[in-house]
Amino acid sequence: MLKIGAYHSPTELTQAVSLLAGEGRTVIAGGTDLLVNPRYMVGIREVVDIRNLGLDYIREEHDWLHIGAGATMRMVARHPKIQALANGILARSAAVCGSPNIRNMATLAGNVASALPSADTPPSLLALDALVVLVGIQGERIVPLESFFVGPAKSIREREFIRELRISMDNFDSLRGGFYKIGRTSEDISMVNAATTLMIKNNTITAAHLVLGAVAPVPLRVKIAEEALLGQAPTEEAFQKAAEIVFTEVRPISDQRASAEYRRRMSKVAAMRALRQAAGLAAPGEEWRHA
Amino acid sequence: MPEIEIHLHVNKRKVTWRVHPGETLLEALHAHHFKGTKLICGTGDCCGCGILLDGRSINACCMLAVQANGSDVLTIEGLAHNGKLHPIQEAFAEEGAAQCGYCTPGFIMRTYAFLQEHPHPDEAEIRAALAGNICRCTGYVKPVAAVLRAAMLMEEASS
Repeated sequence: MLKIGAYHSPTELTQAVSLLAGEGRTVIAGGTDLLVNPRYMVGIREVVDIRNLGLDYIREEHDWLHIGAGATMRMVARHPKIQALANGILARSAAVCGSPNIRNMATLAGNVASALPSADTPPSLLALDALVVLVGIQGERIVPLESFFVGPAKSIREREFIRELRISMDNFDSLRGGFYKIGRTSEDISMVNAATTLMIKNNTITAAHLVLGAVAPVPLRVKIAEEALLGQAPTEEAFQKAAEIVFTEVRPISDQRASAEYRRRMSKVAAMRALRQAAGLAAPGEEWRHA
Repeated sequence: MPEIEIHLHVNKRKVTWRVHPGETLLEALHAHHFKGTKLICGTGDCCGCGILLDGRSINACCMLAVQANGSDVLTIEGLAHNGKLHPIQEAFAEEGAAQCGYCTPGFIMRTYAFLQEHPHPDEAEIRAALAGNICRCTGYVKPVAAVLRAAMLMEEASS
């Protein structure tokens, strides 16, 4: 039994916000991280459940995709529009997050809030330039996901919770993507993962995002590699160059899943495979088929 | 610690339980003598504590009992009907798809949820569906055969 003194289940956003302003309280949604990882419960005496705030939605409005804090990995993995966006990188990364039982409970927002560098979905979200809508007693703030992560299990979130994630659909028709996860087993968190999005016009890369997971204290956008891709034709050679930069830029650690050296080498492989998918040189997976 | 009263359905029976805020749903099930659902890893990694919550397979070890307030819970005890095993249970028995048997309730509950959505699965789909269920005896072949047989038995029963 966990040492939790009180459970709150607010039905209004304002209620949830004022509850969270109190000392020693944290947010619970799916619970699949919070309840099994003691690091999240340090100093916590009470939990505030945000599952009854009507946030279990995924909807499109004014060219933005809004993914509510209650949307589960299963919902994200199965959403047709998310499957169609940038070769489905977000749906695919949600589809390989944990087991079917976990995906029925775990939320996408929770995967972000936990801020683990090895999480499956943040690289895809970063490659899609996602925004995070945080609510707290001071009101609401909308921040780019890129400035959200601070370190392992650390983010800029303070007595706030993620109300929703937003993704622009402006480039829905032209954005291409790639995602590749290297895991110990299909259900384990990533040893290394990579997500990318490219805009390609007249056989030239005009915009590039390349994000690596589990190779640094935070999900890592490798901007030097992105810059090296701009203006290039989407070829094996250009991708090799970018992957070499990834190899030198990552800062992996050794743990029970993999050594730092293995992660460094695999970061190159994962980046390469993701980039090939985005350029149509390799078939993107359809991981959601089993999600 | 204060107790909270929750109302839920367990295996189609309405119950009112008093639970602690930090009690997991698995602990509450055990406290109320539903001991078929097993605690194995306790960290959401093995699906040994798999049950159905409002029709979806989940792990009872990583959710709070209070979070199940108002829900429909189905456990392994709820599958047999009038003293007759559910076709999935029958199939697991016939195929010998259990070694020590401790993980079996989790496999069966996951199979139950899976077959509701995929009544005619192929082997690859079954393997993907059960990928999260860990058997420490490493019995991963016979459960696949059992699910195929269960799908057949369920189709026969409904025709």
